[in-house]
Amino acid sequence: MKRPGSRDTSGVSRRKFLAMASAAGALPIILDACSSSSSSGGSSTAGGSGPTGTIEFWDGEVGTGQLNTEAKTLTDAWKDGKLTGSYELLTGNLYEVIEAALAANKGPAVAGGYAYQAFQFADQGDIHYADNVVAKMMTNGQYDDYLPGLFTPLKTSKGYVGIPYGVDTRALWYNKSLLAKAGAAVPTDWPSFLAAAKALKKIGVYGYVTAAASSNSAYGTHTLAAFMINNGGGMFDEAGNVDCMYDRNVEAVEYLLELVKGGYVDPGSVSYIDTNVYSELKAGRAGMALANPTIPQECGTDPVTGDLVVMSPLAGPHGDKGTIQYLKNYQMYTRTPSIAGSEEFLLWWNQQFVGAKGFYAQGITAAVPIRKSAIALPQVQANPQLVKIINEWVPVAKAESARSPVIFAGLATVDNGTAMIQCIQSILGGKVTAKAALTTLQSAIANYGISSQG
Amino acid sequence: MTSTKTGPSNVLSGLSRARKGIGLGGRSEHQPRPPRRLSSRIITLALLVFPSVFLVVLIYGYPAIYAVIESLHNGNLVQTGPYVALHNFWIDFHNPVFWHSVRFTVVYCVVGVFGSWLVGLGLALLLRKRMHARSFFKTLLLLPWVVPVVVTATAWNWLVATPSSPVPRIAQDLGFGQLLFLASPGLAEFIVCVYKIWLSFPFMMLMASAALAGVEEHLYEAARVDGAGAWQLFRRITLPLIARSTYISWILMFIFCIGDFQSIYLLTGGGPVSSTNTLVVLSYETVFGDFQTGPGVAIGIIMLLISVLVSVILFRRIKKVQIS
Repeated sequence: MKRPGSRDTSGVSRRKFLAMASAAGALPIILDACSSSSSSGGSSTAGGSGPTGTIEFWDGEVGTGQLNTEAKTLTDAWKDGKLTGSYELLTGNLYEVIEAALAANKGPAVAGGYAYQAFQFADQGDIHYADNVVAKMMTNGQYDDYLPGLFTPLKTSKGYVGIPYGVDTRALWYNKSLLAKAGAAVPTDWPSFLAAAKALKKIGVYGYVTAAASSNSAYGTHTLAAFMINNGGGMFDEAGNVDCMYDRNVEAVEYLLELVKGGYVDPGSVSYIDTNVYSELKAGRAGMALANPTIPQECGTDPVTGDLVVMSPLAGPHGDKGTIQYLKNYQMYTRTPSIAGSEEFLLWWNQQFVGAKGFYAQGITAAVPIRKSAIALPQVQANPQLVKIINEWVPVAKAESARSPVIFAGLATVDNGTAMIQCIQSILGGKVTAKAALTTLQSAIANYGISSQG
Repeated sequence: MTSTKTGPSNVLSGLSRARKGIGLGGRSEHQPRPPRRLSSRIITLALLVFPSVFLVVLIYGYPAIYAVIESLHNGNLVQTGPYVALHNFWIDFHNPVFWHSVRFTVVYCVVGVFGSWLVGLGLALLLRKRMHARSFFKTLLLLPWVVPVVVTATAWNWLVATPSSPVPRIAQDLGFGQLLFLASPGLAEFIVCVYKIWLSFPFMMLMASAALAGVEEHLYEAARVDGAGAWQLFRRITLPLIARSTYISWILMFIFCIGDFQSIYLLTGGGPVSSTNTLVVLSYETVFGDFQTGPGVAIGIIMLLISVLVSVILFRRIKKVQIS
């Protein structure tokens, strides 16, 4: 019989138990450290024959499901020496996903997604500049394949933060059957847009619908920015300082308020998410909307024969034309097993969009093409709405930094941020003056110290 | 000779001290603690406890300390950035949305705590009586608490979000006109508060039911003999006897409310025009929507301080509750 307090020498001693417990506790940490070092690849050379590891490609380009399936197949099959590729489709808030990954010393070697993320992460020192890639594109002819002026916005004082592959342009769409039923002409300027909205209201249809819910919406803030730019305005001045109170902006917001107060804008727009816009247009409860180039597909109508048609850019009261546009780009990150490998991957990946079997030819990407060879494809030319956007909207479109010619990291905060959402929500509520709404927007952006100077 | 008093007054005093947690384990209130020897047994126990303590400090202490550091720097999620002292708090205090969020947080917590308590207590009292299918109703009433918030919040959103949603259409058919529940700031605040009460009353009902089960029926009988009415029974017997449990449920519900992110974010996203923004939603939006890590974390620190303050006040109330 064992006496109380006696040491049980036949089993595990206290010292041994504590040692084993400590070892067990430390095991996951050691294993994690081992797995981290192996997954990141590193530039170590196995057998001295070049870098090994995986180029992690995180893509936020959500086209059709087919795009993502094909992208994964292509990426997984990619090889460069001992380097391999892996594909990850990003969903949700891409800034948040990548930022969190970088904070945990994880993250992509190459990524795409939001238009301003490259600038944001470049400011944090996480971007490998694409100057070498751009230089190669200049020599192999790819650079000249692009529409003019699309590389310049991506150039900062330190280099190119990424390379462009498409644009996401916001254009005004109308339901041609409803407009015909209302006896309204297709709008060409602000007065005729208002007249069309009035005519639609007379047949029991809202003239305009947008989405300004505090989450899962973007069209509301795009409407605000687009009408400012349409009037020759924008939230920033030429030097990149916040200037929401610019006269043209005030005029644009007054016009939006006129639409709201006239009852031409669907009052539910304040709480709509983007998909509500599609459902309202599809149901014929609204006649016009600012939306992305794929809205016919979102609404289940044919872009050639369907009712949803893109109009020409409206002329503002001073004759200006314009809208908001996002320059889609791919960027490289400093966390990579091989810088040269990332560059090779990016050059290779960029070519997957063009050509007879490319993504544009297959019609599986949502990006508006910006390369001449892609635009010339019969598959692209067969879509009259897309052609009209390329020919008429893309040339007059600007980034949210307008009137500043440069894009900067702070736009990631402004773009569909809380300040813009609150501003458009208050406008759609119809109970503010244009100056009051813009003053709040101005102070919110200024409070965070956002400008092109950082 | 050392003697121990064994008279009735001493017994009562001992019980009273025991209820307060004084003198447990046989130690007298004034008896000096014997000097302890740091035996190998104590060292072993300390070493055995150490991993747990270390993990707790690591899991709770490290983020809290790191958050304080972040709130004093102008950085992002990757880099801490330069030290800016209290500038992030200054930014928050000069943001009108922050003060609006403070106001709605107070409204949300007060309505969430007391609204759900009133409904929960009422139902607990009702279900205390013998009635047909009582267990079925109890189970049914627990559903809002049991079903995941992501499901119920999305369902409520679907019910009220657009003019063509079921509730606005019913309201319109009943002659209330077009009610835009999530597009009007006032109505959105109302809907969020009602949702919170609906979501939380089962918890309060459970807490109240447990407390009511401990109230002896003979106390009511005695009071009735003395001529007490229903209100007096409730006011003079029920409420005092469940006071301790009530305060605890208030504290817990207050913590649930002030930290409730998913209900509001899924239902309204904090809108329209920040009308339903609480501090926790604003903190998230500031960090992950506006990428202002310092000011966003500073809001979290402010929330932490408020939570600690309110909890301390309520815990002090619990201590004052006399159990007779």
